[in-house]
This record gives sequence, structure tokens and C-alpha cells, in this order.
Amino acid sequence: MSALYSTVLRSLTTRGRLLALGALAVIAVVLAILVRTGSGFDRADTAFRVVDGYGLSVLVPVVSLVFASAALGDPAEDRTLVYLWLRPVPRWQLALAASGAALTIAVPIAVLPVVIAAAVSGVGIRLVLGAAAGALLAAVAYTAVFCGLGLRVRRALAWGLAYLVIWEQAVARIAKGAARLSISLSTRTITARLAQHDPLPRNAMSMPVAVLIPSVATIVAVVLTTRSLQRGEVA
Amino acid sequence: MTPTIEVRDVGKWFGSVVALSGVSFEIGPGVTALLGPNGAGKSTLFRIVCGLANPSQGSVRILGQDPRGNAALTARIGIAPQQEALFEWQTAREFLLLAARLHHLPDPGRAASDALATVELDPADPRPLATYSKGMRQRVKLAQALVHGPEILVLDEPLEGLDPRQRLGAIRMFRALGEQGRTVVVSSHVLDEVERFGSRILVIAQGRLVAEGDFHAIRDLMDDRPRLLRIGTDRPAALAAGLLVAGVVQGARVAAASVQVETSDAPAFRRAIAAVARDTGARLSEVVPLDDDLESVFAYLVRGR
Repeated sequence: MSALYSTVLRSLTTRGRLLALGALAVIAVVLAILVRTGSGFDRADTAFRVVDGYGLSVLVPVVSLVFASAALGDPAEDRTLVYLWLRPVPRWQLALAASGAALTIAVPIAVLPVVIAAAVSGVGIRLVLGAAAGALLAAVAYTAVFCGLGLRVRRALAWGLAYLVIWEQAVARIAKGAARLSISLSTRTITARLAQHDPLPRNAMSMPVAVLIPSVATIVAVVLTTRSLQRGEVA
Repeated sequence: MTPTIEVRDVGKWFGSVVALSGVSFEIGPGVTALLGPNGAGKSTLFRIVCGLANPSQGSVRILGQDPRGNAALTARIGIAPQQEALFEWQTAREFLLLAARLHHLPDPGRAASDALATVELDPADPRPLATYSKGMRQRVKLAQALVHGPEILVLDEPLEGLDPRQRLGAIRMFRALGEQGRTVVVSSHVLDEVERFGSRILVIAQGRLVAEGDFHAIRDLMDDRPRLLRIGTDRPAALAAGLLVAGVVQGARVAAASVQVETSDAPAFRRAIAAVARDTGARLSEVVPLDDDLESVFAYLVRGR
């Protein structure tokens, strides 16, 4: 599986992607520095908003989307997937290797900047722990989901952005039932509860449920990606 | 012959577009050429044979097994697809090493080097594949199909982009692999290229299998159709008359330095032309088929079946 993983990882690390998304990561840290050095506002609340409103709601999902949708989507589109597919390798390994490669990039470019932002803002270790747990779980779930999306649909980037904006940022925040199917809300809940931030995000769930949602999403996504690789057609 | 590839009544359509229809054949060890014009359905058929795509109808068995979702079977198949894209940042050796590792070969480094040497590429070449010419890419694709020594090789237009010497080498290699007992299926849209495989031929046109047999049978089948030829000569009228008397042409149109004839028996015409020219004192400068492009040959075969 390491050969698959390293091949996908190398194919994902293009200079353009790293620079563009690295800039998004820098914004998180810059915002945190402004929080630390600024005055005349509730620093703890504002620091949480940077982590929650930018880190978990924008940076982690967008970075995960860009890399994960390309992990299998790019080789499917340029038809090099055949060189990975037509080998005696279990399909679950290919699905895991692709998700793992995307996660490997999402951690330093999205998860780590969120944690650094939490630390730089200087409001305490609880926010740092909350940011680390929430961002990491979000990155794991999003990379698994978007990896499958990239394999199954064309223009996965556009579809993924539509999902993030419409479902995660709108529907799940309004409708309580939809919140139970939201990776964003569950991981924001984890961060808020660990940071002991009050108030909790709207439609927040209990801690066990918040952990269960991204975990189940990850497993289901890997299973579906594996099925797509087994049953789908390779160009 | 024990068939290694069995294709039964396979059809494939994309919406209302029929790519393949009712294709059936069996292939055993040796070289088999799949001949057809561009867009005939050769690549679609190859994708189905290798398990990359589902047939819309019919079935395919490879070594007695269904190739769809059969990862274990891929260890016994090598495919060189038609598309040019490779992992552009890799060197040829890295690309081959990846293939060898995914095939769980005991010595991937050696297998990679051997496969590259077989196609006359330097395993130590440090340049990335992005810098490779079309011919070099073609050879890299061949090497990755060969690296694990598969029983079945499916090669989609493998001679495209190769220079004449490399083509000769590749054809020799295909024949040698066939003689070793491997099943080698090679697609091409060039009739003369296929002739040199010295193999069994399947002719596919407009998604249908329109002919099969050895090269001579296919050539005769193609020769059976009415042909239009232009013969360059210094005595066109006399030559035309001689050919008509010999009964090998059905019509002739005389021009200043040539005669255009129509024949329905190309082999008889080929046998007679030199003798008629000698008897009529005509000097021949050229014999040019005017409708010998493959498209018209395939169109004739489709109509005739």
C-alpha cells in the first residue's frame, strides 16, 4: 500500500495547490496574531470564532476538498488510474491510500495552522486541544468523503464547494435533523465542548454523537469509494 | 486451441450511441491482431476484456474467469492502453518500479530494469516522463505491461509513435511472446502493420466484428470487393484493351498517360497485369489503388456482412 500512497501523495503535491492553500493557512495564523495583539474585544470569544468560523468552517473543509477530490479524481480524469487499478491490489487499499495521501497534506496545511492559530491567540490550552481534535477529525472525515466524490463525479471541486456552502454552512445550521448529518457541525461541537466555550454552536449535539458522526462518515465514505473502484468503470 | 479470452455476444452502448454490438470470438495463445479504423470500438472492447468496463450485454471470460472486479486476475494480464498520459513526474524506472511493486514481484528493481531494457530504454535515465517523446512513452507503456510477465497481453495501438526500426523490434517481440505461449492481442488501424504480425486477425468496424481469420483470408476478403485503380503507362489505350480482353477488368477509362480500371478480382488482376503489359508493349510506371483507404475497405466489409 505504501507504493500507492506515495504515488498519490506525489501527484497531489503540485506547487500551485500548495501555494494557494498555504496562503489560506497563513490567514488563520495572521487572524490569531491580530486577536492576541488587539484590544477592546472578548479575546477568548474572538479566538474561538477564528478557530470555529474560519479554521473549521473554511480552511479544513476547503483544503480537504481540493486535495481529496484530486486524489482519485485527477488520475480518473487523465486516465492514469488504469496504472493503479489494473494491478492485483485490493480496492480498499487504493481507497485508503488515496484518502491517506490527501490527509497527509491536509494535516500540515489545514489542521496544524488551526492548532497554531489557537495557540498563538493565547487564550489557553483548552482551545488548542479542542482545535486539534475538531480539525483532525474534520480533516479525516472530509478527505474520505471528498476522495470518493472525486472518483464518482466530474467537477468534484464545484460539487464539493456546493455541498460545503449549502449543506454544511446553511442547512445543517438551520435544521436540527440535518445537523445530525453534518461533519462541520459535529467537529465544531467537539472543539466547542473541549474548549468549554459558551455558547455552543447552534444545533450542537452531545460529545459521543459528535465523535460518532465524522467517524461513521469516514468509514462509510471509504466503503463507498472501495465499491466504486470495484464496480465502476475505469477510463 | 484452448481459448484464453472468450467474448460472447458483447455489446456496449453509451446512451443512444452503440460502441459495440454482438461481438463474439475466442482467442488462444499466440498473436492476434484486432484491426479496425479509429472509432471502430477496439479500445472499448479492450477495456471490457481487461475488466475496466462492464459490457452492456454479453459476457467475457479471461482464463475462465470474469474479469470484472477480479483484482487477482490482473496479475495475469498486462495492458498498454492507448492514452498517452503517464505519471509525468516519475522517471521511467520509477514508473516501472511502481508497477513491479504493485504486482508484488520479489525483485522489483530488477524486473523494472529488465522490462525497460526489453523495450530499449535506459533504466538509469534520470529525466521525468514529461520530457519523453511519443515513441518513448509508447515503449514505457509496453514495458509496464510486460514487467510482471503476464500470460495475456492486451496492447492498444502499441506501434503508434515508434520509428520503423522500433516497430520492427516490437513486432519481433510480440511474435516471440506469442511463440512462448502467451496470448498477445494487438490492435491497429494499419493493415500493412498487421500483416507483419503474421497472426490471426479480427476485423472490427462500426462496433461489429466483420471478419476474422488469418491475414491471407482477410486480405482475400478485402480483395474480393470491386477496386478502382489507376495505371500509369505510355500506351493506355492498348493496355486497357488488353486488360478487357483478358477479362480481369470490368471497365476502363483512358487518359493521356494513364488508364483507370475497375476490377472485381484484384488477385487475378495482379497476376495478369504484367503479362498484358508485356503482350501489348506497354511500359508501366505505376499502379495506384484509388479506393484502398481502410475506411472504404471496412465500409465494404460492414455492408457485405
